[in-house]
Amino acid sequence: MTMNYMPGTASLIEEIDKKLLVVLRDGRTLIGFLRSIDQFANLVLHKTIERIHVGKQYGDIPRGIFVVRGENVVLLGEIDLDNENKLPLQQVSIDEILEAQRTEQLAKQEEEKAKVKAMRERGLQPQPSGMQEEF
Amino acid sequence: MLPLSLLKTAQNHPMLVELKNGETYNGHLEACDNWMNIKLRDVICTSRDGDRFWRMPECYIRGSTIKYLRIPDEVIDMVKEDIVSKQRTKQQGTRGRGRGGPVHRGGFGSRGRGGPDKRGGRGGPR
Repeated sequence: MTMNYMPGTASLIEEIDKKLLVVLRDGRTLIGFLRSIDQFANLVLHKTIERIHVGKQYGDIPRGIFVVRGENVVLLGEIDLDNENKLPLQQVSIDEILEAQRTEQLAKQEEEKAKVKAMRERGLQPQPSGMQEEF
Repeated sequence: MLPLSLLKTAQNHPMLVELKNGETYNGHLEACDNWMNIKLRDVICTSRDGDRFWRMPECYIRGSTIKYLRIPDEVIDMVKEDIVSKQRTKQQGTRGRGRGGPVHRGGFGSRGRGGPDKRGGRGGPR
């Protein structure tokens, strides 16, 4: 299955049926088995979970089958099955992590407001954030 | 099977589409094309914040605005059946060729992966 005419090339074919971690441009983290790809790097993920990270905690939401449009993917990587249970992070329930995420989002909004106010006070125009690509 | 072929197989199934702007559209897939443009039936649209809802009998979504689609688990089982039945019809058609034909096909088909699909790189309909 190795590429014999273009050594050193990156190909998603080798990632098929592997458990992958995929990060989307909106900051979401998806973990699932890669079942299918095409020339645009559109992905079909199977048995997918959405993992939400807040600080040192994380929560998993089962999501089923995902068809992800390739342009929305930032990166993907193979999950180390031996070490995936040895994370230095604490797994919590879905409700807890969503609550934590909400709190974090509010804090960020407050921070942003303060920044905008500080800039205005100094006579600078606050930069309009075009596409909300949060990380 | 290619992602777009999977979508074609998922016609008439309910699905969730999230657009790049965060809006979600829940509805039954009526049609899709090679650019991922889709037509949905009996749609409920939810705004990005989840606070506003719209209902519409049908809608058309341009493929370039889609972030992702979530489809029901049963579609993957349907796809596996689809692949098996397609292999059967192919083998019946090439039986006259002798050992050369089916052996060549069988090598790729039995693995049931996205490998052979990547060959042409054009991603056209199988």
